[in-house]
Amino acid sequence: MVKLEIDGQKIEVEEGTTILEASKKAHIKIPTLCYEENLSIFGGCRLCVVEIEGEDNLKPSCATMVQEGMVVQTHSPTVREVRKNLFELIIASHDIDCNLNCLTCSRSQNCDLREIAADIGVTEIRVPPLDKGYDVDESSFSIVREPNKCITCGRCIRKCEEIQGVGIFTTANRGPSTIVTTFEDKGIGNVECTNCGQCILACPTGALHEVYHYENVWDALHDKDKHVVVQTAPATRVAIAEPFGAEPGTVATGQMVAALRRLGFDKVFDTNFTADLTIMEEGTELIERINNEGTLPLFTSCSPGWIKFIEHQYPEYLDHVSSCKSPQQMFGAVAKSYYAEQHNIDKDDLVVVSIMPCTAKKFEAVRDEMKEDVDYSLTTRELSRMIKQAGIDIMNLEDEDYDQLLGVSSGAADIFGSSGGVMEAALRTAYEIITGTELDNIDFNNVRGLEGLKEGSVVINDMEIKVAVANGLGNARILLEKMKNGEEYHFIEFMACPGGCIGGGGQPLPASNEILEKRMEAIYDIDKNKKLRKSHENPMIKKIYEEYLGEPGGHKSHELLHTHYKERGI
Amino acid sequence: MNSDKFLDRAHDIQDTYGYIPEGEIDKMAKEFDVPRAKVYGSIRFYSMFYTEPTGKYIIRVCDSLSCHINDSKSIVDSIKNYLGIDDGETTENKKFTLEVVECLGHCGEGPVMMVNDEMYTHVSKNMALDIIKDCT
Ligand code: SF4
Ligand code: SF4
Ligand code: FES
Repeated sequence: MVKLEIDGQKIEVEEGTTILEASKKAHIKIPTLCYEENLSIFGGCRLCVVEIEGEDNLKPSCATMVQEGMVVQTHSPTVREVRKNLFELIIASHDIDCNLNCLTCSRSQNCDLREIAADIGVTEIRVPPLDKGYDVDESSFSIVREPNKCITCGRCIRKCEEIQGVGIFTTANRGPSTIVTTFEDKGIGNVECTNCGQCILACPTGALHEVYHYENVWDALHDKDKHVVVQTAPATRVAIAEPFGAEPGTVATGQMVAALRRLGFDKVFDTNFTADLTIMEEGTELIERINNEGTLPLFTSCSPGWIKFIEHQYPEYLDHVSSCKSPQQMFGAVAKSYYAEQHNIDKDDLVVVSIMPCTAKKFEAVRDEMKEDVDYSLTTRELSRMIKQAGIDIMNLEDEDYDQLLGVSSGAADIFGSSGGVMEAALRTAYEIITGTELDNIDFNNVRGLEGLKEGSVVINDMEIKVAVANGLGNARILLEKMKNGEEYHFIEFMACPGGCIGGGGQPLPASNEILEKRMEAIYDIDKNKKLRKSHENPMIKKIYEEYLGEPGGHKSHELLHTHYKERGI
Repeated sequence: MNSDKFLDRAHDIQDTYGYIPEGEIDKMAKEFDVPRAKVYGSIRFYSMFYTEPTGKYIIRVCDSLSCHINDSKSIVDSIKNYLGIDDGETTENKKFTLEVVECLGHCGEGPVMMVNDEMYTHVSKNMALDIIKDCT
């Protein structure tokens, strides 16, 4: 342990702690811009500088380790002066003028720069803003980049490379002409970007955001000739309350349903329903592959960021990927066939909207293989915008229930929103279908939690099934490399985002580890409190197979619920 | 990434092609096991590397402090005018590329310019244009 003094507070911290972390423990907030937990230290913005007794120069607290007997001042007059000057320069490069109006920025509600400005107490801006005049990168179906707002903190670069193992962004040039760009300046949509949106969560400014579709949804809602239905992904219900000031981890399922009805959707359904359906189809596929010596391990296919990752980076493994469409796409397919036929709705008049914690879903929805299924895919953030635009006081609404049939789901579907959840849901069902006996304990604790890589095994009918779970694409890469080196599994769940969909690139900001943990707990609470906790016991799932689909893995299912992938190269 | 090895590779490629083509960056990314954006960014960090084909003659005019004081700007402007290209651009016939650069190491003899490996000091506007006209 190391003893030191920060702003007159004597504290003791472990060796190897940075001054920034130690200050946090002493309840002192130092402004940071290029620092982000989970990422390597860059030490570039210098906003976090502090004064250390006996040292001539100010030191960046994010990159300086504590030492025995250190005396640190985090907000001395010199520090405050320097910080203010630095911030003015950063702000100038962010081009705050009428072109980049804060009012119209994607981050108007939660901009790091504005928070820092308030913390530092900026009262004037002496440096004239730089008009960098770069073009907006609109090459992607999912992500937009506005380089004029970029302050070159490098967080997106590190997030994409270190956490996602992809590496889309880089800096080019040096000094004041440094820019953040992509390979050969091609634009995000023309390189191997997975659309996961993790870079959006890392960006302290509005330089990165999703491609917005909510205006199209407003148009559809106001069009009298259209029948507009909506589906909500599992992870949205534990995050939608956050932009309205509620504590992270607040479960707002019923209030979200009520708000969606008020927005004017004709039917409010649940992606959970097709999550249960996914388990039936994917579980059947797993059993078939095991019984018929098919390609193993089977890889899950729910996460479109993961799918694009493997298509670019590991195409040699594509035949491991389940042919099941993701729950979002299955929902679209079922709505436009079964639901439309049952209710005599012309397919052309039916608009399917999805609310997703995900930016990659936007790309998935326009994939050639299945672009008919879902018309508009919105992020949780976009839904919160619509609710605000409509003046709906969501947190004070009475809970309402999803509409019947496509709105009924089990707890197994809820946990799809968390890393390990798809695996657990599949095991609950596969075990009972194969053995014909009921599971004593349906909680598979070793695949739960925020850890990036998890492994476990289950014995089903004397056969040991080895499973693994990876979240965050960097971890997906590690697991695939392990397989290359001979490690064997039967079934692997992959999710592109750290923590799974609860930490999705379309979720509300901020998204710290602590917030992710709370969302995850909330998801497992929903499951625990549900009576129905296994996908194969969902009565509406039984009904749709009886009435319409026939058998899991059968002909009709294959036509509607399954898809294929393609090698994309780098 | 071993940076000596990296720079050696980049120089070799540039010596072969006159610039560093996309496909070569892909190969370097595999060789050094890093994302191709990173290779691209590292190359763009150094002003001596090109990611696009350059002209037969690369004209570099220094605009560091001491040359700037000796009116290097007017030289840059007259070259721009004469060739009809901007800083960093190449003429359509692929003959000339113009680059305004930092210090060429002859601060006492400014303004200075280089054409490929040839250094010229105490350059005037007319001299600059004559040098260019002499390039065949
Ligand atoms: S969306 Fe994901 S893969 Fe694409 S640039 Fe952002 S972090 Fe990287
Ligand atoms: S785009 Fe955002 S995260 Fe990336 S360098 Fe610029 S400001 Fe930082
Ligand atoms: S936050 Fe420490 S240098 Fe940027």
